[in-house]
Amino acid sequence: MVLVLAIGDLHIPHRAPDLPPKFKSMLVPGKIQHIICTGNLCIKEVHDYFKTLCPDLHITRGEYDEDSRYPENKTLTIGQFKLGICHGHQVIPWGDLDSLAMVQRQLDVDILVTGHTHQFKAYKHEGGVVINPGSATGAYSSFTYDVNPSFVLMDIDGLRVVVYVYEFIDGEVKVDKIDFKKTATASAH
Amino acid sequence: MSKEIVKEEAPSSSSGVVPAESRPFGSLRGVQWRINLGILPPSSSIDDLRRVTADFRRRYAGLRRQLLVDPHVPKDGATNSLDLVMDNPLSQNPDSTWSQYFRNAELEKMVNQDLSRLYPEHESYFQTPGCQGMHELLAPLLYVLHVDVERLLEVRKLYEDLFIDKFDGFSFEENGVAYNFDFKKFADSVEDEIESQGNSKKVMSLYELDPELQAVVLLSDAYGAEGELGIVLSEKFMEHDAYCMFDALMIGAHGSVAMADFFASSPAAESQSGVPPVIEASAALYHLLSIVDSSLHSHLVELGVEPQYFALRWLRVLFGREFSLQDLLVVWDKIFSEDNSPLDEISDDGEHFSFKLLGSRRGTLIAAMAVSMILYLRSSLLATETATSCLQRLLNFPEGINLKKLIAKAESLQTLALDSNISSLPSTFVGAYNCSKSPINAHNVSSDLVCPKTTLNLVPDSYWEEKWRVLHKAEEQRQNSSEKKTSSGKKKWSERVKFRLSRTESEPLPAIREKCKLEHTLSVRRSLLEDLSKQLGLEEDVETAGCVEVSNSVDHHPAEVHRDGQNCANKGSICTVEDRCDDGSGAVVSEENSSIFSEPPSPPSSVINDHDHENDTEKSSVASNLSADDNYVHQRSIPEDLPQPVSLPPEDVYLNSPHENGSSGKMVSATKEKRQLSGKFQWLHKFRGSIVSEETSGKRGGISEAANSPNHDSKRNTVDSFTAGASSNSHPTNKGDAMDQNMMDTLKHLGQAMLDHIQVVESVFQQDQGQGGSLDNLSKNIGKGQVTAITALKELRKISNLLSE
Repeated sequence: MVLVLAIGDLHIPHRAPDLPPKFKSMLVPGKIQHIICTGNLCIKEVHDYFKTLCPDLHITRGEYDEDSRYPENKTLTIGQFKLGICHGHQVIPWGDLDSLAMVQRQLDVDILVTGHTHQFKAYKHEGGVVINPGSATGAYSSFTYDVNPSFVLMDIDGLRVVVYVYEFIDGEVKVDKIDFKKTATASAH
Repeated sequence: MSKEIVKEEAPSSSSGVVPAESRPFGSLRGVQWRINLGILPPSSSIDDLRRVTADFRRRYAGLRRQLLVDPHVPKDGATNSLDLVMDNPLSQNPDSTWSQYFRNAELEKMVNQDLSRLYPEHESYFQTPGCQGMHELLAPLLYVLHVDVERLLEVRKLYEDLFIDKFDGFSFEENGVAYNFDFKKFADSVEDEIESQGNSKKVMSLYELDPELQAVVLLSDAYGAEGELGIVLSEKFMEHDAYCMFDALMIGAHGSVAMADFFASSPAAESQSGVPPVIEASAALYHLLSIVDSSLHSHLVELGVEPQYFALRWLRVLFGREFSLQDLLVVWDKIFSEDNSPLDEISDDGEHFSFKLLGSRRGTLIAAMAVSMILYLRSSLLATETATSCLQRLLNFPEGINLKKLIAKAESLQTLALDSNISSLPSTFVGAYNCSKSPINAHNVSSDLVCPKTTLNLVPDSYWEEKWRVLHKAEEQRQNSSEKKTSSGKKKWSERVKFRLSRTESEPLPAIREKCKLEHTLSVRRSLLEDLSKQLGLEEDVETAGCVEVSNSVDHHPAEVHRDGQNCANKGSICTVEDRCDDGSGAVVSEENSSIFSEPPSPPSSVINDHDHENDTEKSSVASNLSADDNYVHQRSIPEDLPQPVSLPPEDVYLNSPHENGSSGKMVSATKEKRQLSGKFQWLHKFRGSIVSEETSGKRGGISEAANSPNHDSKRNTVDSFTAGASSNSHPTNKGDAMDQNMMDTLKHLGQAMLDHIQVVESVFQQDQGQGGSLDNLSKNIGKGQVTAITALKELRKISNLLSE
């Protein structure tokens, strides 16, 4: 049972000062095995904070990240799943499912995690799953100010992944759960 | 259990041909142990075995399902109603299944860590993932099961043809996974053969096998009751079986020896002495040792080596750490083969065994085993001069020992132990138990029982607490009864008692400080003493009575009397008379405390003296009293056999002016002679001694110096010396003359200070078995931790040194 945190688009300190306190209290070290970060942290301090939560941190570069050494894409394998990370500002139109599916095929992954739109989304299509954890701080995005802080926790267990979505709506943390099963075929696509 | 029986009967049920083997199921330890531990019934038929096995396994599987939380499993079909906010993985809510899961994971991690450090030399087996969840006790159990399975595989390899599937005419490959299947067919044929008593070739060949192997084969059938679940010897169910064995071992299956008790830190409910069972068991060891080899025993006691220092480890892991794995298996074979049911002996006066450990054959064998181990090291132990080196020797049990001899000796001692348990009185440890709050006041019964003079009081704790209350109310009552009861006790005893008293009294100390409760204390003590004597009704009685008389007759400060009385009676009732002792009754005490006291007094007195200097008068005397008590108590560390009542109510600072009358002095000398009295007396003596010492310390700081008459019995351990010192403090005064008020006060203060220290040390001590069982250790009070304890001990040492001067 592997817990993977998917988080991104914090835009600290430019657009938001910090994560909501309720989110921070939930994110304690020791429970999470991997962190996948879509990008736009933007400063090193946030990187360090994530490092304290979990040593295994994967980040891709967002357009406002101050550290230019992050890669554009990244892929990793956790359990039976192949995960891909991409910030998403490179994929035009932003947030378009078909284009993202194209990226997913290119990276050859089962689960693609992207961001940039600051909206939580979880799509399942025949090729796999696309997850957008939204913005963890609720920072305004390029096209809207109405953003709820959100992030995603994936529980990978064998051929099944349970996606827990944590959203901060009206001062309360709301949790939702989505189940995805990988078809036990050699290729995910 | 009845592996033999099973063995016999299994074949006999089928053919009655194979005779029973003397060693049941020779190589199948797993099954043998399971029978011994009560999991498998000693029944004859394989079917029964199988059924029971299957039952146990099912139970385990159920338990496992219940306890191993899997957050993915929906709760009873009500998935949708799960409150996700509460039950998500990151939830902080401690009730959520996820937090439970994480908690379990933490625990598992810790256990894994322990496991990885376990048996590093047997790495290959123990490091495998299958060993998860083991424990030092469980490890050998699982190992044994594993060995059994390996043996099974060996057997199968050797006798391949027996496992051939008769029907198909070709043999299946033997391998662990498929063997069940093989067996089904084979068992089918074999069963038929067996039942029908046919003369098929297979049957004959089965019976031609070593009976052991037969058993192996029969036990591994997949056929028979319960099918696969009932395979008695099965690789798949190793975990279940190991758990069952472990459970049986820990709970003891209604026997008198339950390992789980040994891990409990609080006194068992039915324990008379109110001390933790492991302490009680350790005291049982020493008790047995004292019967078998009193010189070694007294040597150990003198050095202050409390049995629980080493016995704790021995008992808790059933000698797992002392022997190599193979040796350990042999030892456990023996231990498990003994019956664990409680022997029923309830003494007429309504008291049960003094030692629960000795209450069953298995328990006595364990105790006997421990004693024989101690005896094995006899010469090296006798040669050591310090407690530390003694402990070193005991804790590093040598390798390459002649195990058979050891076991034989243990068996011989076992019968002795059985007998002894019947006659031993619980009083030995009842009295010693200190009522101070620290839960584990190990009374080092056996070690402390050197001066048994004073009879032990079997009054339970509550009694003493009542007494304390009474005392507390009537504080001023008995100041003058200061009897040197303590003197009667042997030095050690007196010291110990004192310590104990001090300990018990230390708690109420603050409250009492300002008052001189000598009289009150004395009266209580005296009454306690009387009670004690009544109850014990032993040889000591005379002395006790003497003490009582002495105390009664003393017209000096009641404190002293209290001291004595308290010593005799029990700690609880003793008030820190020292503090209270206003008048110079202390002087009386010293007189009474003859030589006995004189010897030990120096250390205590020095301690007391130090204390005096440190605290204000009243306080110090009380403290010293308390510290003395504490020391005493500590020494006793394993109070098992010390009667509870001894523990004085902490608040009773027996400030009895240490005026021991001549009578007490006489008594002291008399007691001295009786040094080698039975443990209980020893305790009492110590008690007295401690009381006396406390009194003396309390009363006369100054006197302590004087009092530290050099009559120390060299034998007495520091405690005794302390008590003696204290008493000697009183002695000199007694002997000399009326004590100075000042002296008494100083002594009191010292006593109080000591008591405080003792208590601190005790509390710390309990956790730290490694500390030498010296007085010093005892003097530390619960609480601050070893550092505090050590400092307290040092102070006590100083005081005692002063006193001894």
